[in-house]
Amino acid sequence: MRAIALLLALAAPARAAERVVSLNLCTDQMLVLLAPEKVAGLTPLARDPALSYVAAQAAGLPVVRPSAEAVLGRRPDLVLATSFAAQTTLALLEQSGLTVLRVGLPADFPVIRAQTRHLAAALGVAERGEALIARMDATLALAAPRLPPVRAVLWGARGYAAGPGTLGDAVLRAAGLEDAGAGGRLDLEALVAHPPDLLVVPTAPRFPSLATALLDHPATSGITRVAIPPALLICGGPFTARAVRLLAEPPGR
Amino acid sequence: MNGGVTTPGRLSAALGLLCAVLAGLSLLVGSAGAGLPGGAAGGLILWQIRLPRTALALLVGGGLGLSGAVLQGGLRNPLADPGLLGISGCAVLGAVLAFYWGAAQRFAPALPLAGLAGAGLGGALLLGFAGRAPSGPSLILAGVALSALAAALLALALTLAPNPFALAEITVWLMGSLEDRSLLHLALAAPPVLLGCAVLLGLGRGLDALSLGEATAASLGVPAARTLRLAALGTALAVGAGAAVAGGIGFVGLVVPHLLRPLLGQRPGALLAASLPAGAALLLAADLLVRLAPLALPLNQEPRLGVLTALLGAPFLVAIARRAAP
Repeated sequence: MRAIALLLALAAPARAAERVVSLNLCTDQMLVLLAPEKVAGLTPLARDPALSYVAAQAAGLPVVRPSAEAVLGRRPDLVLATSFAAQTTLALLEQSGLTVLRVGLPADFPVIRAQTRHLAAALGVAERGEALIARMDATLALAAPRLPPVRAVLWGARGYAAGPGTLGDAVLRAAGLEDAGAGGRLDLEALVAHPPDLLVVPTAPRFPSLATALLDHPATSGITRVAIPPALLICGGPFTARAVRLLAEPPGR
Repeated sequence: MNGGVTTPGRLSAALGLLCAVLAGLSLLVGSAGAGLPGGAAGGLILWQIRLPRTALALLVGGGLGLSGAVLQGGLRNPLADPGLLGISGCAVLGAVLAFYWGAAQRFAPALPLAGLAGAGLGGALLLGFAGRAPSGPSLILAGVALSALAAALLALALTLAPNPFALAEITVWLMGSLEDRSLLHLALAAPPVLLGCAVLLGLGRGLDALSLGEATAASLGVPAARTLRLAALGTALAVGAGAAVAGGIGFVGLVVPHLLRPLLGQRPGALLAASLPAGAALLLAADLLVRLAPLALPLNQEPRLGVLTALLGAPFLVAIARRAAP
């Protein structure tokens, strides 16, 4: 709720921007979904299919390194960043007369709606924002609470589990599941000792790491699992509803 | 000079018993709590999580302890250790290249094989150097250089690795860890480590002869070059596959022979049989402490295994250096 208040407090710029640079993977995806024709620069991460929902479209759009010098070179009239961005870079851009729009990282669907509207207004494409929200809500409406309740754990790289207040928790609950995760690190032994009904993991990446290999430990092979493309869960956006849909109708049921 | 207070056989048996006791304890300790894991998942935790970890600690530690004893005898240098000489570092570099670029995902034995290749290459480089300067500080310096080179290339490899988590995993590879290893890791590491230990255990007579000088060794029918080649091969097998699944754990090979000499005397061959269970017991004890730490202290993850062995080993290194100083 605090995030919504924060978003509403930020006044939308008076005139819609035409050349927009994004400095964060999450704002990259919103910018591509809302106004691909206005992209003056995305982060290189936007092109990584393992991280970005819009990787295919981003492949044909310009990318820019998130440094003040590189951004100024693109002569944008709006810069999108998260409130966690390097503050020195943002301060330098603002001193140079650029408008910087800082947004939070949504961890729930009401905040995703509010942020989509806010960014759509700033980009002068309010109707596209409403269309994205309508499609997201239609997808979310397909999910219903499971009876009997299904206890699920969303288990990510290095064993970090979703818990109250996280985007993962919102996704599990929106899919009608009960979030059995407590947030923080969930140890392999602790998971196996109290196995959930459903283990939700990110789809194994093409190139491994110890952090992601843990999720395939043979001791977890007895737990029913669903794999979700991580790009749907890294940033909260209208596309996050697709993760809900994958969980609401898990493959093989 | 050669007298010890006990015999290798008796000490090995006692250390074997210590290993068995520690292994029993190890099966009782994990993040699910102390004691035998109960409930429906109890067996799973015991056999799929705690057993491979316990067995790997014994295997990797035994391989390191025995390699240390053989290297110190063969190179006639009390500082010789697979970690200090860079053999572990080269093994880790090989394993990292096989793991992060997906070779081990497609073909699991690629992981230990790459570790062996790295250790073998490191051993061959040192052996080439040892041919010119057979012992003394220059060999240790060459090893330190090799070790630094391997660590730098490791950092570079992890920076270039395609998975975004890779670089954060550098501590696992540099300091070593046995967390969440599976029976697959055990199956991959055990055959080469055991084979390497068998090669090293057979070197007792050659090492004893070598301690009398290279000419004497040759006249006794055990030429130094052959002993050193087998020592390098055995070390590559015993250390390479272990480092591929557990990372580079330092100081075990350095410390173990020094702990045993007061009990067994100075003869290098006398140390071999006991250095295997001594290394195994030392590493398993360290791994037990690593697992107990988050249960007793406010940690949200385990300290790395190599942190403990370094805390033990670094003061040891200082003590050896002081004794060697004029």
